Amino acid sequence: MISTRSMVITLLVVAIVCSVVLSFVYSYTAPRIEDTQKELTLAGLREVIKANVFTAVVPDTVWEAMDSANNLVGIVFRVFPQGYGGPIPIMVGLDLEGSITGIRIASAAEGLKETPGLGVKITEPDFRGQFIGKTLENVLIRKDGGDIDAITAATISSRAVCNGIKQGIEKFASYLCPPFDKCRIFPGAQDFAKIIPEILWYALKDNDTLGIVFVGTVQGYAGQIKFIVGITDKTEITGIEILSSNETPGIGEAIRDKVFLNSFKDKIPDAITGATISSRALIDGVKSKIEEYKGYLK
Amino acid sequence: MNRLSIFTRGLIKENAVLVLMIGLCPALATSGTVRDGFGMGIAATFVLLFSNIIISMMRKIIPNEVRIPIFILIISTFVTIIDYFMQAFQPDLYRALGVFVPLIVVNCMILGRAEAYASKNSVFSSALDGLGVGLGFTLTLTVMGAIREILGNGTLLGMTIFGEGFKNAPVIFLILPPGAFLVIGVLKALLNKYYK
Amino acid sequence: MKNPALIFLAAFLVNNIVLMRFLGLCPFFGVSNAVETATGMGMAVIFVMTLASWITWIVYHGILMPFGLVFLRTAVFILTIASLVQLVEMFMKKAYRTLYNALGIYLPLITTNCAILGVTFLNIDNKFSFLNGTIFAIGTGLGFMVVMITFAAIRERLDLAPINPSLKGYPISFIAASLMALAFLGFSGLFGLT
Repeated sequence: MISTRSMVITLLVVAIVCSVVLSFVYSYTAPRIEDTQKELTLAGLREVIKANVFTAVVPDTVWEAMDSANNLVGIVFRVFPQGYGGPIPIMVGLDLEGSITGIRIASAAEGLKETPGLGVKITEPDFRGQFIGKTLENVLIRKDGGDIDAITAATISSRAVCNGIKQGIEKFASYLCPPFDKCRIFPGAQDFAKIIPEILWYALKDNDTLGIVFVGTVQGYAGQIKFIVGITDKTEITGIEILSSNETPGIGEAIRDKVFLNSFKDKIPDAITGATISSRALIDGVKSKIEEYKGYLK
Repeated sequence: MNRLSIFTRGLIKENAVLVLMIGLCPALATSGTVRDGFGMGIAATFVLLFSNIIISMMRKIIPNEVRIPIFILIISTFVTIIDYFMQAFQPDLYRALGVFVPLIVVNCMILGRAEAYASKNSVFSSALDGLGVGLGFTLTLTVMGAIREILGNGTLLGMTIFGEGFKNAPVIFLILPPGAFLVIGVLKALLNKYYK
Repeated sequence: MKNPALIFLAAFLVNNIVLMRFLGLCPFFGVSNAVETATGMGMAVIFVMTLASWITWIVYHGILMPFGLVFLRTAVFILTIASLVQLVEMFMKKAYRTLYNALGIYLPLITTNCAILGVTFLNIDNKFSFLNGTIFAIGTGLGFMVVMITFAAIRERLDLAPINPSLKGYPISFIAASLMALAFLGFSGLFGLT
C-alpha cells in the first residue's frame, strides 16, 4: 500500500523534472524561433522593395527601407485585412512618391485561409504584379473605381486585398518621411528645416538645401484656398497640393484635379475653363508666393 | 507474441484511426495535404514513442493511484518539446497544423497506449509498440492527405500533378471539412469490405 | 471580432467546433447513437468547457504569463482539465446518478475531448478577454451539443435503414457527418463572419 506522501512526492518530482526539461528546451529553441521569424520577415521585405537595410519603425508593422548609402528609398508596411476565410497577411512596399513597389501575400502553407482554387489566387504573380506602380488613387478593383482587375469568382478576396492596401497607405504613408505632407510635395528631401513656422521650410538632404516648401493662402471664389508648394533652387515646382478649399463643387473644386495640379511641375498652367476665378486665384497665389520667397533659394 | 508482430499490428490490424477509431480529430483536420498529414503523423509518433519509452522505464516506480496525472505530465512534456522544435525548424508546418500540435496531448492514441501497454511491458516492446501504432497513424494520415491533395488541389507536396487545367478546377470539396468526413468514411468502408 | 454576439454566432454555427474545426470528434461518434445520451453528454461538455475556460484563463493570465512560464501552457492546461473532470465525475456520481451511469466511460473521456483543451487554447490564441472567452466557450459547447443531438437523431434512423454491410456503422456515419458539414459550410459568411 503506497502512502499518500510517496504519491505526492512522486508526482512532484515528475512535475519538477518535466518543468526543468521544458525550460531547457524553451531556452534552446526560443532564440532559434526568433531568428527564423526574422529571416522570414527579411526575405519578405526584400521581395517587395529593392533595398539593403530595413529598420522597423513600428514593430512588425512598418519598416524603413534604405539603400547602401543609408538613403531612405521607401517603406514597407504590413496589413491584415479580413478576407473571405480569414485575415490576409499582406506586405506592401511603397517608394518615396507613394507608389507601390511590390506586394507579398502569405501563401496557404503559411496560413492563408482563402478558398483553395479561388481566393488563394491572390497570391499568384499575375494578380500581385498589377499592384506595382499603383498609388492611393487607383489601387482599388475596377468595380470600385480603381485599376486592379479582380480575380474571377474571387471578388471578395480581391476586394479585401485592395481595400486593405489602400487603408494601409492612408495610415502609414506618413512614414515615408516625416512629415509626409511636405515629403510628398518634395520627394527626395530627407528633412525640413523651419524658416517661418507653419509657413516656410528648407528642404534638406545631407545638410544640403534642395529648395523650399511653403504654404500660402489666397481668396478664391467662395472662400480661402490653402495650398502647399515645393520648389527647387531652379524654381521648378516639385509638387503642389490643396490643403483646404471651399470652392463650388463640380466647378471651382476642379482645382483639386490631380492632372491640373501635376501640370504645375512642368510649367505654371493656364486657368481652367469654366473655373476661371478659382483656378486664376490659385495660379496667381502660387506665383506671388514664389516671388515672395524667391530670396530663400540659393 | 514475437517482437515483429508487436510492431506490425499497429500498422494495419489495429490501426489507430481506421480500426480503433481514435485520434480522429487530427486525422480529419490535418489531412488536407500530404505534407500536413505526414508532418502531424510524425509529430504524434515522436510523442508516442518517447512517452512509451519513459513510461515503460518508470513503470515500476509510478504509484498506481496517480499514474494518469503522471502519464499526462510526461506526454505533455514531449508534446511541448515537439511544439517548440517545430516552431523553430519547421515554421510553415507549424502554422499549417496550428492548434493541433499542442492537441497531440489529448490524442487518445497516446494515453491509451501508455495505459494499455507501456505501463506493463518492457522498454523495447513499448518502443516497438509506440513506433508501430504511430507509423500506422502516420500512414493513414498520409494516405488521406494524398487523396485530398491530389484530387482536391491538383498537387502533391506542392507539385502540380494533372496540369494547370485541373489545378484551376479541382474537387475543392475534398479539401474542405465535408470532404474530410467523406474520405475517411470511404476508406473505412473499403477496409470493412476487403480486410476482415 | 470583439462583439460578443458575433463571437457566439461564430462559435456556435459558422466555425462549429465539430463540423468545421474537427474538435470533439471521438465523443461525437462515440456517444451520439441515442438522443438522450447525446443530450446528457452535451450538457456535461458545456459545463466542463465553460469552467475549464475560466480556470485556464485565470491561470494563464495570472500565473503563466507574469512569470514567463508560457512554455508550461500545454501541461498546465491539460492537468487542470483532468482534475476538473475528476471533480465533475465525483459530483455527478452523487447528484445525478442515472446520468452518470448512462454516460459510463464517456465521462472521464471528456478529459481527452480535444474540444475542451482546444477551446482553452483558442481563447488564448484569439486573445479573448475573460468575458469573450466565456461566451466563446458557451457558444462552442452549445454548437457541440446541438450538432451531437441532431446527429444522434440521424443515427437512430440510420440504424433501422437497410444499408450495405461494408457501409454499416462508422462509414455511413462519416458520410452523414460529411453532409451535415456541407450544410454548416453554408453558414460561412453569415453576418460577415468567416
